[in-house]
Amino acid sequence: MNNSMIIGQYVPGNSLIHRLDPRTKITIIFFFVFIVFFANNLVSYTILTVFALSSMFISRVPIRFILKGLTPVWFLIVFTFILHLFVTKEGTVFFDLYLFQFYTGGLIQGIAISMRFFLLILMTSMLTLTTTPIEITDAIEDMLHPLKKVKFPVHELALMMSISLRFIPTLMQETDKISKAQASRGVDFRTGPIKERAKAVVPLLVPLFVSAFKRAEELAMAMEARGYQGGEGRTKLRELKIEKRDILVYLLFACAIAGLFLTRNY
Amino acid sequence: MMQNTKRQSSNLLKLIILALLGTISLVLFFLNFPLPLLPSYLKIDFSDVPALMAGLIFSPIAGVIVVAVKNILYLAVSGAGDPIGVAANFIAGVMFVVPVSVLYHKFKGVKSIVSGLVAGTVIMALGMSVLNYLFILPAYGWFMGWEMTEQFKWFSVYAGVLPFNIIKGIVVGLLFVPLFVKMRTWIEQQQRKVA
Repeated sequence: MNNSMIIGQYVPGNSLIHRLDPRTKITIIFFFVFIVFFANNLVSYTILTVFALSSMFISRVPIRFILKGLTPVWFLIVFTFILHLFVTKEGTVFFDLYLFQFYTGGLIQGIAISMRFFLLILMTSMLTLTTTPIEITDAIEDMLHPLKKVKFPVHELALMMSISLRFIPTLMQETDKISKAQASRGVDFRTGPIKERAKAVVPLLVPLFVSAFKRAEELAMAMEARGYQGGEGRTKLRELKIEKRDILVYLLFACAIAGLFLTRNY
Repeated sequence: MMQNTKRQSSNLLKLIILALLGTISLVLFFLNFPLPLLPSYLKIDFSDVPALMAGLIFSPIAGVIVVAVKNILYLAVSGAGDPIGVAANFIAGVMFVVPVSVLYHKFKGVKSIVSGLVAGTVIMALGMSVLNYLFILPAYGWFMGWEMTEQFKWFSVYAGVLPFNIIKGIVVGLLFVPLFVKMRTWIEQQQRKVA
């Protein structure tokens, strides 16, 4: 089983980015995703790239972790670049390969759009690299708080998320253990036609479901024994608080946005 | 008073069960495998099985919640590198799980499960084809700054999305029918416990 999946992408650390309020990080990334689409020339792209790269360096997350986060989308980035290189026929021909002529316009567009992709993914993975899933859940619960007015079960959703996150490693181990136990009895998960493989999963799932339900009952009982009674009046061990550093980062981001809109072409 | 505590505790239990089913769903989601001859981003996994289970034991909405928990967990754990893909996965899961659950609660029995799985597969395959043609593929195109041609979209739907979802429905069904037969008494037992 893939070890890296167990705790998600989070890389522990104590940098400025790690210590930022998770709400700050989510808000900035949310707006960054929109802002990226407004960049349309060298200067505006540079501003965003400087912003993203400096947050990457400040976080002190090793580059290999960041590159690993990019693996699922490498294909899209490269595909986009090649597509634009071949399809866009603007500007002058800078390279002639008998059947294909490559145009400067295509090259520039290819670079710009793959850069856009790269920035988007870099920023969103900065969130999961420097924030624990529990912090993200806390922040989402807090940011969705206004929805309580329309009877949206914000607390229940957050509770479900934290319980699920807590049990990812446990249930992964259990899946691993059961599949090994079944393999030792001769069940073959890896080879054979798809139909046989689908059937081989049945003896894996039965104990998994049964034990998950048992676990749920124990947990519900333990929570009630400790006086859990829903979200009303519940206090927190770690309160989220906006600090000076959050305001500083907001200001820097505002400057980046202002710079972008001043320099982009209309 | 007694009545009140009882209801509350079964609500909490339900919440926790759905959370754990969401976790199992995520774990199964990671154990995916690509199909031969189809593009690598279309992968088969058994993550819909826990959602089907929730749909049978509780209600169609419970099934939808498990699919939602899986996708939100996936976002929180692996980052939002591909938000369109996550949204598409959620919609596909809902279209597959809801018909099975609705038909089961109406008619019960193995036959209702089989017809539900067939209906779910058809709805998911057709629904995802339409959504891909109208929204998902154009959204990717917009991200890539490339206006997709009609031909490309038709080709992706006919050669990718449509056969993929049909095969996915069949494979999950092949697993789920024997699973249901095996766990039927247990499922009915759980229904009484949390009702």
